[in-house]
Formats: sequence, structure tokens, C-alpha cells
Amino acid sequence: MRFRFLILLVGLAAALTFAGVAAPSHSPTAGAASKARTPGPLVRDGVSATEIREIDLEGLKKLLQRDPKDTRPLLINFWATWCDSCREEFPDLVKIDSDYRAKGLNFVAISLDDVTDVKTKVEPFLKEMKATMAVVLLNVNDPEPAIHAVDPTWQGDMPATFLYDRDGKVIFKHFGRIKPDELRSIIDKQVGSKQ
Amino acid sequence: MKKQYALTLFLASMLIVAFAAIAGSGHSSDLPAPPAIGSTIDDFKLPDADGKEHSLSALKGKNGAVMIFMATRCPVSNAYNDRMEKLAQDYQAKGIAVIGINSNVTEPASEVKSHAAEKHLTFAILKDEGSKIADRFGATRTPEVYVIDGNNKLVYHGRIDNSQKVEGVTANDVRDALDEMLAGKQVTKTGGAAFGCTIKRTS
Repeated sequence: MRFRFLILLVGLAAALTFAGVAAPSHSPTAGAASKARTPGPLVRDGVSATEIREIDLEGLKKLLQRDPKDTRPLLINFWATWCDSCREEFPDLVKIDSDYRAKGLNFVAISLDDVTDVKTKVEPFLKEMKATMAVVLLNVNDPEPAIHAVDPTWQGDMPATFLYDRDGKVIFKHFGRIKPDELRSIIDKQVGSKQ
Repeated sequence: MKKQYALTLFLASMLIVAFAAIAGSGHSSDLPAPPAIGSTIDDFKLPDADGKEHSLSALKGKNGAVMIFMATRCPVSNAYNDRMEKLAQDYQAKGIAVIGINSNVTEPASEVKSHAAEKHLTFAILKDEGSKIADRFGATRTPEVYVIDGNNKLVYHGRIDNSQKVEGVTANDVRDALDEMLAGKQVTKTGGAAFGCTIKRTS
């Protein structure tokens, strides 16, 4: 009987300790971030960081269909940390995001990394790149329906970059490393014309 | 005179619009287009990791070949090592040879050799210096597969199967194509899209 009481006491103490340890990680910022479902940049501890949201095929379709109220041109880039050409062009994309966001460009980078690599590879890479664009992770078993939902002629080459105008029409697509000047001149026309 | 000027201006603006439309819809990749399904693949020669030359005609089986553009460092390609080896073993007796091709400028022959030994890959792996064969095939990523029949006709071009993770595989695109081809049937699914690592070429 006394032994059981002792176990209960130890258990209670352990639970309290655990709660104490766990509590600090549930800071208001982290809590708010996990609730926010819209992709977007957020600022943590003065350093801009990007929350990575996981999407499936339906999520991808929704992202491409877009909210009818959102009339910004949309830039999409498919990438992964294991894709060397993607890593190489990423600084150009980060720069495009920072130069054009205020002018009304909506940029979503879609990572094809494995879900288990988010903390170990994706987040450190984005931090190193000082990336501030919205980042989502496409988690699908069979990639073909997702690839064809984006473009029926696409075979999955990476990186792949697509620019949609206000009406959701593809006005630029490129497989392989982008030429930043070419992409910029096309974005210029999109953000430059009057709303 | 004024009318003529207006017409010229109008035509000029139309021309600009047309050019813009062409530029917008333009070339989306910098690489040569892959051969069409049904076209004949010409013979080629490449050395293996020991420098010994092989021709496609000598390596291929009597019923065809599966050429796989592969890599030593790409995690996607590496996820398929066991599946590639199994494919080679399963179809050898059926007169189909699996031929690996490494076209990455970043991965030297010595690395191709040690990688094959380490991963227990027993099928022929050729080193495509200068990515010439990758260019000829319009291959862009690893792994990327081209299947030819006994008459060197391209019957399939695309992915190996529908999941990078072996436990998620529900469609074996290459095996299905091979089985149909071996049964004398028309291949129903002649390609499949999948993400892979970009082939690193000399630029």
C-alpha cells in the first residue's frame, strides 16, 4: 500500500517536472505560428524565419487555384535541399522575393524534401539563405498527379519555376536553373501594370 | 500621310504584342528534347568505371534494355539502388539488360565504381563523360529510365515506379512496360513523372 502511494507520488512529481520543461517551448509566438494556416513570413526573435506548412495534392491544387480575392501575381518554385541546382539558384529567388514582395508579388517555394528532413535540412537551409518567402512542403506518395496538376507537360525536372498572372494564367515557366534577369523582367511587367 | 503613319504604328504595336506572346510561351528548358516514343535509338559506346568500352548493341539483351540515368550522390537515385538491382536480376533471364549511365560531371568514374561495389550493384554502369549521351536522350534527372525493345525502339521513358519510398509503391511503371513488351503487347503507359536530382552537366 505504502509502495503504491510512493509510485503515485513519483509519478506526480515526474508529471509536474515534465509540464515545467514543456511549458517554455509553448511560447506565445510558437503557439500563434502553429495556428496560422496561411503561408506567410513571420518574424521570430528579430530574425525573419519561415514557417513550413505541409500540403498534400488537394492543398497544392488549392494553392494553384488561389483565393479569388488575392489578385497578386503568384510565383511558384519547386525545390529541395537535395537538389543542387535548386540550392544554387535559391539566393536569386530570395532576392526576387525581397525586391518584389512590397510591389505585390506572392511567392511560394514548394519543397519536395522528405517530411523527416524539415528540422534537420530544410529549416537550416532557409535560415542560411535568410529566406523570407512562404515555404510549403509537398507531401505526396505518388508525385505524378501533383506534377500534372501543375503542368501536364512537366516530367518532374527540378528546379521548376512558374509565374501566374492576376487571373491565374501561367505566363512564365522554366525547368532548370532560372536566369534571374529574364524572370525579373517578366515580373516587372506584372507588378508594374496598374491594378 | 497621317493615316499611313497610324497604320505603321498599329502594325508595329501588333508585332510587339506578337513577339511578347512568343517570348512568354517560349522555351521552358535549356536542354534538347528527348526522343519520341517509338523512335529508334542509335547505338552508342561508353566506357564503364574501369575505362572498358561497351556498346549499347553488345550490352542489350535480345529482347531489349532498360537504360537508367543514375547518380552516386543523389538521395532519390540512391533510394532506388536495391530496386534497380532487383530489376536487373529479375529481367536478365527474360532477355532484358539493365544498363546504368552516370552523366554527372561531379561524380568521377572512381566514385561510380566504389558506389556500385558498396551498394552491390552488379549490372553494367557506364560513365558518360561530357554528358553526351544524356544530351542525346534529353535526360535531365536521376533516376530517369529509357526502355528499348529488341529492335531498339523506345517504348518507355520516365520514372521507375510511383513512390520514392519502397513501402509506398503501388504502381511499377517500368516493370509493367517490360511485361507488356515481353508479351508482345503495346505498352499502355509509356511514361511517368517523378521528381529527381538534376543531372550535373559541364556548362
